[in-house]
Amino acid sequence: MKGVTYLVLLLAMAGFGFGVYRIAGALKSDGTHVQRPTSTYAQAVPGKMFVAQGGAIYRFQNGTFTQITKDAGWTQPSSSPDGTQLVAVQRHQNYSDVFVLTDSGRIVQQLTNLQSPSVEGNHWAFLPRFSSDGSRVFFAYDDKVPGVYEVDLTILSMPAGRPGRGVVWTVPNPYTGGDTDPVPLHDGGLVYTKYSIDNQSAVHSQVWLTTRAGAAGTPLTRTEEDCAQPAVSPDGRSIAMVCRHGELQSTELVVATFDQSSGTLGPETVLVQGQLSASPAFSPDGQTIAFLAPVQLGGTFQLWTVPATASPSPSEARPITQSVGLDSTSAPVWD
Amino acid sequence: MSDFSARGQRLLGVRRAIPLPQPSRIIVGFLLAGLIGLTAYFLPLFQSASTPVVTSGGGLINPVSGPTEPFTVLLLGSDDDSKFAGDQFNTQSMILIRVDPINKQATMMSIPRDLWVPIEGQRYTGKISTAYQTGGVQATIATVESNFHVRIDDYIWIGLAGLVRVIDTLGGVNLIVTNPVMDDFYPADINTSSPYGYYRVALLPGPVHLDGVHALQYVRSRHGDLRGDFARSERQQQLLLAMKAQSKHINVADFPDIAKALNGELKTSITLERARQLYSVMDQFDSAHIKRILLGPPYTSEGWAGSESVVYPSWGQILPLISQYFPQ
Repeated sequence: MKGVTYLVLLLAMAGFGFGVYRIAGALKSDGTHVQRPTSTYAQAVPGKMFVAQGGAIYRFQNGTFTQITKDAGWTQPSSSPDGTQLVAVQRHQNYSDVFVLTDSGRIVQQLTNLQSPSVEGNHWAFLPRFSSDGSRVFFAYDDKVPGVYEVDLTILSMPAGRPGRGVVWTVPNPYTGGDTDPVPLHDGGLVYTKYSIDNQSAVHSQVWLTTRAGAAGTPLTRTEEDCAQPAVSPDGRSIAMVCRHGELQSTELVVATFDQSSGTLGPETVLVQGQLSASPAFSPDGQTIAFLAPVQLGGTFQLWTVPATASPSPSEARPITQSVGLDSTSAPVWD
Repeated sequence: MSDFSARGQRLLGVRRAIPLPQPSRIIVGFLLAGLIGLTAYFLPLFQSASTPVVTSGGGLINPVSGPTEPFTVLLLGSDDDSKFAGDQFNTQSMILIRVDPINKQATMMSIPRDLWVPIEGQRYTGKISTAYQTGGVQATIATVESNFHVRIDDYIWIGLAGLVRVIDTLGGVNLIVTNPVMDDFYPADINTSSPYGYYRVALLPGPVHLDGVHALQYVRSRHGDLRGDFARSERQQQLLLAMKAQSKHINVADFPDIAKALNGELKTSITLERARQLYSVMDQFDSAHIKRILLGPPYTSEGWAGSESVVYPSWGQILPLISQYFPQ
């Protein structure tokens, strides 16, 4: 009987030791744990959204996520003016292509074919957007000479749904990485982000406006503001963007009135500051802005919303998700 | 009945030979078991501490300062893939850091890897990145000390694979990609038997959460940027700040994973106890109080030494800067 007692005690001690080992492991920090969106629930928002995570595009509607593409490099969706189609990027090791999809993720058309047998012969296409009439797709494209070091993105547009040639819209500053974030306007103009490097070797980003392909654009923001990732409101009268003001670890989410006819921005209102806010997008009624930011310092990017017109108050921004780790360079689509 | 009783007595007698353990012994047993469990958990940490990564270099490294005294650390980063034999790496990244614990200020200065300087212990002038290849960490430290007129208290060398694994262990890092990082000739030399290959890199701008591989791409790419290696140096400093911010999340339970991640990829003169002191000092620092220096023009100028593209130092500009930010 006592032998059994000893055996039980020894087993209990061994179990205790193993338990201590496991508990020590459980105390590890878990600040960046990421879940698949489909395994989470979130507070519902009006309408539907599309977001990207880990190479797949998800539809968010009524508080639940539905995966609409395979995990195959899909990112940066944007919706057509009538909301029935998406244009999105499928990214591979050395190239990416732009596709038109249904809003349930079925491929309708491959707009680009940028793969090449040689590494440097490949091309990139990123950040596609439909024009306001849905007839063309604008995207950032590395219009480069294969074999040279210079690889700068320029804004290109291509016909959607029919064959046709691409049209180059912008001329990037050399060796800066180029121009990104095309946002076609109702009147045929284009808002985008242009990068530059000054005489002190400091990098700047500015939101620019150009009225037609190949025309010299004009900056809407100052170099020292370092603004990028513009989103234009549905009525075309406001622009939301992120500005870093020379900072490297935090951004401000700002909104400003926009006068397309004069090509000017009004005073900026800071909606969110002290966070790493990214990739804003307006709601269909223009009253709310969705954006991506970590919930906690060092965490992965989550979906947030903030009133677009309210007076600035940190408490008014609220996280919609907590642990899904979204692709922060892929702005939410809000239909 | 009596037989049974006697047998029972004998049985009892036999059992009396094995007394039940006293409660105190049981407690000690459980404590020992718990200690063994903890030891097993922290074993990678103990192993790394006992591995001779701590190199005193026969008096090369100066005695460590107290935690309240300013101290200088040289951070070294190397490609350590199969292109290189043994310990003969180039130091692709060299960052000199001075920490002032009392004033809670720090300065980090990137030394251009192509800086054309006399290599200590060698009879030639060459790129400063080759000092490690020819004379190891001793020659590297001596070369920096003699050319820059600074005193280096400690050094940390890390291999590229170790950096990737540490960042992954931290759970990735958050930073702002300031402009599109485009590189058509990024070396495909990690986890491969063919280290001379290359692939394309495109990191889109904006706030991002990067895993180890993409963070390495961010700090290693240089071909598509007007500022070349200086852009890379700036991004390396940015990554250090991001890693510092990310390290606020870790606790002692994360140390074994970090030790495993660094296995064979870290060399340092810093002891575990010293590292603990430094960590507590750095943890109190606000990134806004960290001065960042890049030795671009007018401190340096690009040129050619024979067929080599090099960076020439302008010591008349550099040394006053050193006196100001790295006083001895």
